[in-house]
Amino acid sequence: MKYLVPILFATATILPTVTVSGAEKLSYNRDVRPILSDACFRCHGPDEKHLKAKLRLDNREAALKKEAFVPGKPAESEFVKRMRTEDTDDIMPPPESVRQLTAAEKDILERWIAEGAVYEPHWAYVQPIKSPIPTSKNPAWNKNPIDAFIHARLDKEGLTPSVEADRRTLIRRVTLDLIGVPPTPDEVNAFLADQSPMAYERVIDRLLASPRYGERMAVPWLDAVRFADTVGFHGDQNQNNFPYRDWVINAFNRNIPFDRFTAEQLAGDLLPDATTESRVASGFNRLNMMTREGGAQPKEYLAKYAADRVRTLGGAFLGSTLGCAECHSHKYDPWSIEDFYQFSSFFADIKQWGVYADYKYTKNTDLKGYGNDHPFPPEIEVESPYLLKRIATLTANSEKIAQAAFAKHDAQHFSAWQKSLRDFQQTHPAGWAPLSVSKASGKRKGKTEKDTYKLDADGTAIITAARDSDVHLIVTTAPGWIASLRLQLAPVVNNSALLDDTKTDNKHEEEDQEDKENSKKLPVINVALLHTPKGSEKPTAINFRLGDASDKRKRYNQGHEILGLDGGWFITHKIAQTNASATFVLDHPIQLQDGDTLTLVLKKNVLSAARFFASPFIPNNLASGDISAAQWQAAFSKPANSFPGALSYLLGTQFDRAAFSQVAAAAKEIAESRDGKVMTTVSEAMEPATTRVLARGNWLDESGAIVTPKAPAFLPQIPNPDQRRLNRLDLAQWLTSDTNPLTARVFMNRLWAQFMGVGLSASLDDMGLQGEPPSHPELLDFLAIDFREHKWDMKRAVKQILLSMTYRQVAVQRPEIVAKDPANRLRAMQSVRRLDAEFIRDNALAISGLIVHDIGGPSIKPYQPSDYYANLQFPSRDYLAHTNDQQYRRGIYMHWQRTFLHPMLANFDAPSREECTIMRPAANSPQQALTLLNDPTFVEAARVFAASLHQIPGDDKARLISAFERTIARQPSPEELTRLLALLAQQKAHYTAHLDQAAALLRIGLAPLPPSEQHATMAAWTHVCRVLLNLHETISRL
Amino acid sequence: MSALNRRAFLSRSLYGLGSIALTSLFQQQAHADERWRGVITKPHYPVKAKRIIHLCMAGGPSHLETFDFKPELKALDGKAFPKSFTKGQQLAQLQNTTLKARGPFTEFKKWGQSGQEISMLFPHLGSVADELAIIRSMHTEQINHDTAHAFMNSGSIIKGRPSFGAWMLYGLGAETDNLPGFVVMTSQGKGGGAQPISSRQWSAGFLPSRFQGIQFQARGDAVHYVANPDGIQPHAQKADIDDINYLNGLLAQRVMDSEIATRINQYEMAFRMQSSVPELTDFSSESKATLKRYGIEKTGDGTFASNCLLARRMAERGVRFIQLYHRAFDHHSNIEKDLPIAAEETDRASAALIMDLKERGMLDDTLVLWGGEFGRTPMSQGTGRDHHILGFSLALAGGGIKGGITYGSTDELGYKAVDKPVSVHDLHATMLHLCGIEHSRLSVKFQGLDARLTGVEEANVVKDILR
Repeated sequence: MKYLVPILFATATILPTVTVSGAEKLSYNRDVRPILSDACFRCHGPDEKHLKAKLRLDNREAALKKEAFVPGKPAESEFVKRMRTEDTDDIMPPPESVRQLTAAEKDILERWIAEGAVYEPHWAYVQPIKSPIPTSKNPAWNKNPIDAFIHARLDKEGLTPSVEADRRTLIRRVTLDLIGVPPTPDEVNAFLADQSPMAYERVIDRLLASPRYGERMAVPWLDAVRFADTVGFHGDQNQNNFPYRDWVINAFNRNIPFDRFTAEQLAGDLLPDATTESRVASGFNRLNMMTREGGAQPKEYLAKYAADRVRTLGGAFLGSTLGCAECHSHKYDPWSIEDFYQFSSFFADIKQWGVYADYKYTKNTDLKGYGNDHPFPPEIEVESPYLLKRIATLTANSEKIAQAAFAKHDAQHFSAWQKSLRDFQQTHPAGWAPLSVSKASGKRKGKTEKDTYKLDADGTAIITAARDSDVHLIVTTAPGWIASLRLQLAPVVNNSALLDDTKTDNKHEEEDQEDKENSKKLPVINVALLHTPKGSEKPTAINFRLGDASDKRKRYNQGHEILGLDGGWFITHKIAQTNASATFVLDHPIQLQDGDTLTLVLKKNVLSAARFFASPFIPNNLASGDISAAQWQAAFSKPANSFPGALSYLLGTQFDRAAFSQVAAAAKEIAESRDGKVMTTVSEAMEPATTRVLARGNWLDESGAIVTPKAPAFLPQIPNPDQRRLNRLDLAQWLTSDTNPLTARVFMNRLWAQFMGVGLSASLDDMGLQGEPPSHPELLDFLAIDFREHKWDMKRAVKQILLSMTYRQVAVQRPEIVAKDPANRLRAMQSVRRLDAEFIRDNALAISGLIVHDIGGPSIKPYQPSDYYANLQFPSRDYLAHTNDQQYRRGIYMHWQRTFLHPMLANFDAPSREECTIMRPAANSPQQALTLLNDPTFVEAARVFAASLHQIPGDDKARLISAFERTIARQPSPEELTRLLALLAQQKAHYTAHLDQAAALLRIGLAPLPPSEQHATMAAWTHVCRVLLNLHETISRL
Repeated sequence: MSALNRRAFLSRSLYGLGSIALTSLFQQQAHADERWRGVITKPHYPVKAKRIIHLCMAGGPSHLETFDFKPELKALDGKAFPKSFTKGQQLAQLQNTTLKARGPFTEFKKWGQSGQEISMLFPHLGSVADELAIIRSMHTEQINHDTAHAFMNSGSIIKGRPSFGAWMLYGLGAETDNLPGFVVMTSQGKGGGAQPISSRQWSAGFLPSRFQGIQFQARGDAVHYVANPDGIQPHAQKADIDDINYLNGLLAQRVMDSEIATRINQYEMAFRMQSSVPELTDFSSESKATLKRYGIEKTGDGTFASNCLLARRMAERGVRFIQLYHRAFDHHSNIEKDLPIAAEETDRASAALIMDLKERGMLDDTLVLWGGEFGRTPMSQGTGRDHHILGFSLALAGGGIKGGITYGSTDELGYKAVDKPVSVHDLHATMLHLCGIEHSRLSVKFQGLDARLTGVEEANVVKDILR
């Protein structure tokens, strides 16, 4: 007799079946408890509040005491009578219960009582046991102990494993699984040619050593810890935390042991050997959603943040769903409400605010002046290796561009420039020439001002025009090159006297309208420059491309500090009393001639006195405005193959416009890279706040018991001989201690699912009583113990799974598997797995050759439908897609807007990361088809792929074969070739007749347009490549 | 058939089909068998509402100036608000302030044969009063927009839970292959009072993404990625899709994975959607009288009025759940200026939609829900009102709703729902009931629990408003 007990999971994609053969004794954990838990424990389980008839069935003693059953004698057992009766008053579960018992389940329960009603402790809450490695019928098939466990079970079930996949399939599988991009044809060919028995292992070793490995492994972890670029609640503002993401990638690449991995994230700030890196990792505790909504109650949100942290701890490390224990003791699992709040109290020392603003109705003086553009402290400043590398690359490229341009320079022009600088140095050794005001005019509200200015003895302009006038100062200086301007405040008169006294720094009104910038009444200096060549009537406005000041008001835009002088020089009254200066870099250098007029415009002027200077240099340090000795030296150096003067000359004269604009764009990005320094949210410990048990999760209830950090009562306790208050470091150490039965199992189960498509226990997020018992409990225990015994070595654990024959089998259904094990839980074959959202993007970018493999850095913004953020406010958001190589970076770096996730990610089931997510559903929807067909990222990939095929010598057929190899690492079948060559011919004919359509298609994306004579061919090939990129095989790994 | 059996059936039938059937599979024009039929194949109750249109007045409209007339509050205008009402209760922006009563600034009138009281700011809704069931005794648990919207849509404040539309689609299945089964449109008012909303409100949560709400945009492509790329004509798009499906069919023969057959169907559906969406958003067949009735100045301009007409067109074409957000009702200040603007923007079109559906014989099986995520305080906040969760009003029409009745009430000052209070879970249970679903029986195993729209606590169907 055989029972079939199906369990339906949320996604309806996993259908584990447990078969129980008649001869074997029932296992409580495997066969009985799932039924009891599902059908009975709701009213007869651990939750005392909902206990009916005071009968507990989850505990043998309690059940026997109430005489629920007589072990060995089902006929005498009340339990069986109530289950079998047809009397609707007596039957259990009661008729109104949604969960009813099936006939098969009733048989199991009755047989269990007949066999003695033996209980077992829940498998996941007891220590994993090291079982002997089983022997299977055909030990030659076993590559390692994993196979022994799997094959022994298959033997028992009368199934045979599948054959090893062919090498092409295997290398594509293992490459996609380990680094998330497909193998290149060269890599495939090398593997095909490698006759060594170690060939496959060598591929694994190469992939484990690849920096791409960390990017791939980080994705599920970032889901678990709910890493995102925005705070999630209400205005969903940006937060600064990408260094945490980079830390995770790096941690996988460096293969730091999982116990250390855990400790740095939970307690990186408390470690005795805490480093900047580990403090970055402690940003883990700050990944909860946060709010700045007006009217939000700080206490309510602190309670939400705390509960969120406990749920994440449970989900990410313990495979336990703790959400229900926030309000009441768990209905099925032994987690009590006290356990929940004790867990929560571990995090009570995290410095944070319930509402990240200072509203008049909820005062928060710590965050005085905070608006919607401010960050979410506490943060620390760290160096980003990505940005440092980016700066170095940009700098080196600029040098190269300048050198290349200089190779074609005009010697006469160059020496004239050098001579002008020597002359300049004679009179202005500091590199700055003062500009003296010769004439001025002012206008205010359309009226001309009188008495605009006077000059001080030292040339300081004292501006006497009324405040907010537009003041035009005509300034004079010797002819020559000007690349930068400098404005220095001169507090020779009482500057504040001219500033509007009613608008002082600290008297700003606190508006409850959230989008008003509190400090907008403070002074802003707006400078513009007009150049009127001699004889000309019309002045040319010269914009500034860069700027910075020695001192300025700190301002923020969308969570980031505003760099330079964007929008003007924002000062305070305090700064107005100093000699602070600001440097403005001209859009392009100008060469002032005799008779030219230079006009400085102070728009809506707030200045009372200032000095002005001009320089033929662009100071390396814009904030100080100092021209360094090295800059002088570089300018005067002798031309050679490679000499520093080339860049100075290019920047100082724009002698080659194209080169100049490239270098200027690089300079802008360098400035935006802030010397590689970025802010990142971290854990900062403070005096722990009081934690109370909140009955029913009600944050207004202050009557609950005060609790302190403690492990859940049903699990091994944290040793604490001194009875001190435990902290996050203790928690981390407890998670990865030898006595914790959950953590290692949870992690290994998840790793298994990552490579096999489904976990040994399919409920990756629930190892509790409602979860699924593992299909191979001894194997899961073996893996868990092995992981712990090998010092939590993650790469080793990964490699062991990948080396197994179980992993290497073909993913092809056989009738007997379909019949006996349709969900493939016994692993007689590999499972086909659709790639996760990020890797679908990476795959297309890699195949086309567009992909840019930089690691880390600020999140990137791929093309996105316009107006997608229209419903976001506080502040309003503009999504500016990247217009440079950032466009082609991997999915893991995509800007993750919690409330409006990029539609490509959302359509392919990436989670919003508002909540800890362990399992992504795998939908198959028309939106996915529309995305792959029409999203510009994929269309551009197809056309660039097409263009790259054009480089391959040979005929269309040869190119098509190569396209297949690049896309899915295999050769096309004759049918496939015929079909796609026909498509190619058809589209070529069409586009030859409609070149405008070809050009329109080839203009999609940033990549350069191919030469026009190729348009018809390229457009036709784009269709072929598009078909390849859309294939089910392409977005899946077989 | 349960999802489990259905799935097993699909898998089996695919393996049974073999390669001959597969090649013809993708050559057929329509594959109605791949349409999601829902997990509830035998409804628990008679299906009164085949579809739902939710007109969400986002920001939280004042019940005191819409459906809940309080003369006593008017009498107390400007005076101290009795502490006996407010002690120990949550406040939003009125935290730490002295509370003063604010009387309603509008007149109310008894409308229609039923004589339901509706504010003069909403004369058009007044004119359809006999169709409306007004619930005056709503209450919710969340006092801030973000969480209140989440609660109103998913019955939970824990993120990652499916929204009402996703549950409905999951339970009842789709009625069309050519359009998404769950559509969302948004508009923003010209007065003050707009608050952000989140796509979480139409998320599929832990259900697969095929059940998520699809947002229709006012500008650009109506649906993301629904338009062909520049330079690709519909026939070329079709040629590509045919080839994709042909090659996918070859793969299915090799690996026998049932997902491939589904994938083939999804490409067919995507193509059908590409042709259906332009037809849907083409208003040229609508008469001038219709446009005038809704108050549409320019079709497809993204206004609430235009969205209402589009909602009707979607309802006609089998969209299961249509949700319109009008972001305009958060009147902390200037309520006397801004609420009339928001009313003007929504009143005419809301009523026009109800009557239009009625004249087309569709109101009988279309449930219309009108209301926000919470109400507003009877206390003043400067020139406006703060958020309020203990009592507020909603209106329902059609789809098995008894028209012309007012259900429940708040206390004399409109502060707390005292007579027959209705929770958000009760509202959801009632709406599901009208869809033929017993709320406690629409559940999905998630993290070991039977997750439901109506949560773990008891929820009651509001029987008195049902026909």
